[in-house]
Amino acid sequence: MTLTARPGLDRAGTPHLRKAEAALPGRELFPTRLRAWHIAAGVLFLLCSLLASVLVGPYHLPPAQVLAALASKIPLLHVRSGLGALGNADVWQIRAPSAVLGGLVGAMLAVAGASYQGVFANPLADPYLLGVAAGAGLGATVAIVYGPAAWASSLSPLPIAAFVGAVAAVAATFTLGRSRNGPRSPASLVLAGVAVAAFFTAVQTFIAQRQNSGDLEVVYNWILGGLSTAGWAPVELIAPYVAVSAAVLLACRRLLDALSVGDEEASSFGVHADRARLVVVVAATLGTAAAVSVSGLIGFVGIIVPHTIRLLAGPSYRRIIPLSLLFGAGFLVLANLAAGAVLSPEQIPLGVVTAFLGAPFFLVVLRQSRRMG
Amino acid sequence: MKRAWAKAVIAIAVSVATAAALSPFSTPEASASPPARATSETFPVTITSGSGKVTLTAQPTRILCLSASATQMLYSMGAGKQVVGVDKYSTWPPGTPRTKFTGFEKNAEDYLYLHPDLVIFAFSEGTLVKQLQLLHIPVLVLPPANNFAGVYNQVNELGLATGHIAAAKRLDTSLASYVAASVRKAGKDGRGASYYIELSPDYYTATSQTFIGAEFSLFGMRDIADAAGRGTAYPQISAEYLLKADPDYVFLADTVCCHETPAIFSHRPAFSLLSAVKQHHVFGVNDSVASEWGPHTIEEFVGFLARVLASTTRK
Repeated sequence: MTLTARPGLDRAGTPHLRKAEAALPGRELFPTRLRAWHIAAGVLFLLCSLLASVLVGPYHLPPAQVLAALASKIPLLHVRSGLGALGNADVWQIRAPSAVLGGLVGAMLAVAGASYQGVFANPLADPYLLGVAAGAGLGATVAIVYGPAAWASSLSPLPIAAFVGAVAAVAATFTLGRSRNGPRSPASLVLAGVAVAAFFTAVQTFIAQRQNSGDLEVVYNWILGGLSTAGWAPVELIAPYVAVSAAVLLACRRLLDALSVGDEEASSFGVHADRARLVVVVAATLGTAAAVSVSGLIGFVGIIVPHTIRLLAGPSYRRIIPLSLLFGAGFLVLANLAAGAVLSPEQIPLGVVTAFLGAPFFLVVLRQSRRMG
Repeated sequence: MKRAWAKAVIAIAVSVATAAALSPFSTPEASASPPARATSETFPVTITSGSGKVTLTAQPTRILCLSASATQMLYSMGAGKQVVGVDKYSTWPPGTPRTKFTGFEKNAEDYLYLHPDLVIFAFSEGTLVKQLQLLHIPVLVLPPANNFAGVYNQVNELGLATGHIAAAKRLDTSLASYVAASVRKAGKDGRGASYYIELSPDYYTATSQTFIGAEFSLFGMRDIADAAGRGTAYPQISAEYLLKADPDYVFLADTVCCHETPAIFSHRPAFSLLSAVKQHHVFGVNDSVASEWGPHTIEEFVGFLARVLASTTRK
């Protein structure tokens, strides 16, 4: 048993689970309570990342003037930035939206990854497990190749097409993953996801390889991921989805603790495993689809962040989910900063940076946690 | 475990504090070179191009050109002095202010150190264009031309945008004259001859619907890829298809990327049976002929084709 045996620790828990916990002996096997300093560390990390992302960019703007520009937006603080029209447009229309977008995408991918790992009881599960990436890739490719020019309309068709593609792929996975005489098992869902992803990827490749080099480069640029934004439209587009998905997943964190030990054990607590899995997967998938639709495919965040949190804070999803949200957001904002800085003015694909930064950090944390016992 | 958290948070705070000071982005302001002098014609002008309607209130003096074909057009019409940067693929004319840019950057901020007042792209997925528009920097997108009319239109648009309307018209006229003279020089030898243009050794090719196809069509040549190009102008054919089609001429536009040569091509299995190989009608050309539509590339390739057709006799 890997659950907390102390009832009533978390008011967000479901009645079933609280009842089940109440029946368990009162002994805590591993820490589950989220401490205030955990949250404080996460918030500090995220704020520092956002600040660095707005202060630093390829075009040199005096940091003091950027800080003044930020302060000028605080009500009652009558501060003048000193930045010209170009600098102000740069800070408020490119850097700030890009930083916020990075936060939203990073938070969503990390929390979705953690949730998938919980519902599938699989440490290698990531947000793309059920075909989101392949579906979004196909949608984006169709929009790039056959859609109107992105600059020709105020609303770009690309994120909408990517979102539709992602949702279509996961819907296909759910339809195909249902067993003939029973509920969807994690294994059948994963296998259906593999098949659907392979099919969508094949169609995407077929369309892409028939285009000229320019369109092909645009497609691959999108697939490699990035947080380049022009204005706040992408942020406004995905914020509602990310907010709702994150809220649902935060509310389900106790269910995830139950599901992570297996369906039968979860049932003994009164948890309906199939129904719980559906709620969590739908929430994680919708949020991931929204994130991917504007950022392209950014790998590794959904694995590295939850596992790092798990190593530092313990295996309870009551800690992992909220902390993945905060640290995932900060991590991707910093990764995006590094993607632009390392070979400036060239930009390294963001997915490359997330793997480059994430993998060694993960190994260091792993070693340290082993040393600490 | 708490100590690990504390260490991590301190490390993050320190790294963020130093990031701004030691940022590799901290490029010094570009030395603003004096504005180029060019013949100013009627400004403001409004141009309708691939990026929609663009209004230029004054003659641009700091142009960033991220299209190798547009670079050729600008320099050929005498607008080169207004150019402050070109992309890494702009190899003609020599001596241009080449940058590392490709036109596929993720962030328009990268361009700001050049203080451009006009940015020209050949391709863009939209974000870069929108970012530049938010920064109040005019953008022209001149996508790949599919025929000669498209090239002449782009030359005229650039003439209007840069204040070289008359020079652009002269460039169009001289290019059209050169092309017509080349076709005359080739005579009728090319009429009806079939060809295969190779873009990569795995048999990617271009149909007559592309600009390079239009150049061959000038000479009355027939593209063997047309029958294969269902729904795409850049089909991938097979070696077997090529053997069956048995083209009269083969042009290898993968000599730079993939180091292909007529000798290597001729030694591919069974290719000794091809008529083009038997008659030594296999020619290597620069890869750029298949991806650029600038006046220099056009003159070079059309002139080369005229010489080839004039000096060879098809089977």
